[in-house]
Amino acid sequence: MGDLLDRDLISNLPQSIIESILTRLPIRDAIRTSCLSTKWRYKWTTLTHLAFDEKCVTLSNDRTLVERTLIDFITRALFLHQGPVHKFQLSTSYLQSCPDIDQWILFLSRNDIKELVLELGEGEWFRVPSCLFYCKKLTRLELFRCELDPPPAFKGFLCLKSLNLHQVLVAPDAIESLISSCPLLESLALSYFDSLALNIRAPNLKYLCLEGEFKDICLENTPLLVAISVAMYMTDDIAEHFEQSSNCNFIKFLGGIPRLERLVGHIYFTKYLSIGNDQGILPITYNHLKIIELYQVSFEDMKEILVVLRLITNSPNLQELQISGSSNTLAAIEASDLDFWEKQCPSDCAFGRLKVVKMTDMSGVPHEMEFIKFLLKKSPVLETMSITPCAYVLDGRLNMLIELVSFKRASPEAEILFIQD
Amino acid sequence: MSEGDMAVIKPETADGSIQQVEQEVAMFCPMICQENIQKGMGSSKNHAISLPERVNTSMLSLIIDYCRFHQVPGRSNKECKAFDEKYIRMDTKKLCELTSAADSLQLKPLVDLTSRALARIIEGKTPEEIREIFHLPDDLTEEEKLEPLKNSTDDPRIRLLNRLYARKRRELQEREKLKNAELEEERSDDRSVDDLLSFINGEIGDSKGIKTSKNKKKNRRRKDQQKNTCLYEANEIHEESSNLKFACPSDEVNKFRASPSLTLKLQDLNDDSLEDMVDIDDGDIDDEIDPALKEKIDREVEDFARRLNSDWPQRIQEILALGQERRRVPVSINGRDSIRRYASLTVVLSSIYSCYTSNQSVLRYFPAFVLVEDIQSGNGSYKQNIPISANGWNNFDQMLTGF
Repeated sequence: MGDLLDRDLISNLPQSIIESILTRLPIRDAIRTSCLSTKWRYKWTTLTHLAFDEKCVTLSNDRTLVERTLIDFITRALFLHQGPVHKFQLSTSYLQSCPDIDQWILFLSRNDIKELVLELGEGEWFRVPSCLFYCKKLTRLELFRCELDPPPAFKGFLCLKSLNLHQVLVAPDAIESLISSCPLLESLALSYFDSLALNIRAPNLKYLCLEGEFKDICLENTPLLVAISVAMYMTDDIAEHFEQSSNCNFIKFLGGIPRLERLVGHIYFTKYLSIGNDQGILPITYNHLKIIELYQVSFEDMKEILVVLRLITNSPNLQELQISGSSNTLAAIEASDLDFWEKQCPSDCAFGRLKVVKMTDMSGVPHEMEFIKFLLKKSPVLETMSITPCAYVLDGRLNMLIELVSFKRASPEAEILFIQD
Repeated sequence: MSEGDMAVIKPETADGSIQQVEQEVAMFCPMICQENIQKGMGSSKNHAISLPERVNTSMLSLIIDYCRFHQVPGRSNKECKAFDEKYIRMDTKKLCELTSAADSLQLKPLVDLTSRALARIIEGKTPEEIREIFHLPDDLTEEEKLEPLKNSTDDPRIRLLNRLYARKRRELQEREKLKNAELEEERSDDRSVDDLLSFINGEIGDSKGIKTSKNKKKNRRRKDQQKNTCLYEANEIHEESSNLKFACPSDEVNKFRASPSLTLKLQDLNDDSLEDMVDIDDGDIDDEIDPALKEKIDREVEDFARRLNSDWPQRIQEILALGQERRRVPVSINGRDSIRRYASLTVVLSSIYSCYTSNQSVLRYFPAFVLVEDIQSGNGSYKQNIPISANGWNNFDQMLTGF
């Protein structure tokens, strides 16, 4: 009943729906629809999201063959494509540096590309062609294993909101000027940079993620920063460099971000902050800071403890605190300064909003226990304090428990959870 | 808006029945919300909100079910997902209608849900299956679909590849037979070597003698031998041409010098061996070519295959070298042009070839560009520049041999 036009279920749906269906298909299936019927022949060509990876072609053991077929596939698809391409993603380990990628980027730069993600293979790193810097409408750029070399006339990506560079080779001043020349930048992620000294000037920056061997980080102008995640790998010469510097890293890093809501510090972050820490009154209060996560805090180093203290005493609205220790039990048994806690801590400080505390990798060293005692005493609304002992500490656990039981709690609701694995 | 307020909705279809729905549920739907707020419709029977035509009664009830569940605040993600999974289970026709209806009501979450479901249906299926599910008309021409290589198309490049493959298949089959023949009849082997030697030494008479024998069984054996020799010779030509570049040790030079006569022999050996070969092949599309041309074509195919796989500079040398030895067909296009076209054709063909061998389905599903893909001559498409005659081979020949 009815003619063929009635029976056809899908071809007459509006183009926006067809596009949303085709975008959810892997690119190879989307292109295959071109041989379904005359109406479908060019429906895929106006897709604005293109994502290619090695699943587009049949894999085999011959790497060069796969590489060749993949290049052909992508070139042909782009050649047949009509209209703007807003999002282009290429993630494959089979492609390394090859001139075809340059041509694709040239094509994209002429077609209003907005989001570009390039994740290429481990071999020779791809040298990004200069036509990338003429993509005026770029809002998101993610590069893995590339070499970036902005031309001297480059004035910045005026629309760029998100920048993610992972294992990218770029000159330090080029990076700095790239960041500062993108006025709308909101999210910045830099990973695996070596020995980088960075001054970040990004007035709209909200999310910052850094990972690598940074020599020096200064958040010079980032007033809107909301969340930070930092993993600092420290080597010996970087540590030496710090010994000689007289600046207070704490202030340099955390001094200008009043809107901070979440701080995550991995590996040597607290150590980094502790260098040059002068213990004076911090000129800034983190009124919005709700979550702090610090990993690998060494409770044998008084300076690091001071950093932690300084941080939490300046965050009146802190709700969740997570600290993981990294102490060497043997060395810490003869801890000194145990009266530090009574002398140094302001007696009227209270963590009025602190609800959840997680202490992990605890070795039971005196300062760790003192810290826990301190928190319990000063947190009137605490709900959960969970303690996970370090896997290597087996004998000291009973002592830890005995101590814990004796601590006074300011909060009647507080639960202490000792988590064994 | 107090609870118990009903909004009145009227779907504008043939069965335009008016429905009453709870206010909050209806408001979840942006289009209805808009109508209500902006135009004050939906308060009573006279002012019912009329829905777009893509929404009929059954779709409307489905959509209302969706809205009813999702407009309740505080549903966990898990609950929503579970509901969605169950909700989306319906036959494809309904799913398409629902997508259309949700889109006209601007209900984006439902459109996303149904699009995802449709994408899941399409993913990983062959075109035939998809056409069946969605009742799509199969109205692309053969050319557009480029059904690969089963049907011989007008495209000479595809034909060339077909022949290449047919030849390879035949060779493999011959080798199988060779192996069997060796096991069974050692004598025939000796004879084949003798034949070969006699050919090389230019004794035409023997081959003819073999050909005219009437005894069927003997014939069969001889046909085998002929095939063997044919095969052997073909391989020889293959080898000797590729040895052109190098300083030839003496026996190879002998072979090469013998080649013109071998060429003649092969052309003479036409009828019997070729017919047999044709018989053995099943479903081979080469049937329509007359056998006289067949051997020549096969040789060209061999040549072509070799060229596909060797380097361009080498080939230049070979072409130039060969060009001095044989001038069979006059060139109708000038040298530079032909080489340029040749180069691009080779590039095109080798890319198709490699494409074909590596990934048949890519070739299959890229109809447009395979046909459109041009040779880099100044004037446009391949078909324009090099007119293909009825049997399709003449000019192509010229291009390949370049003389």
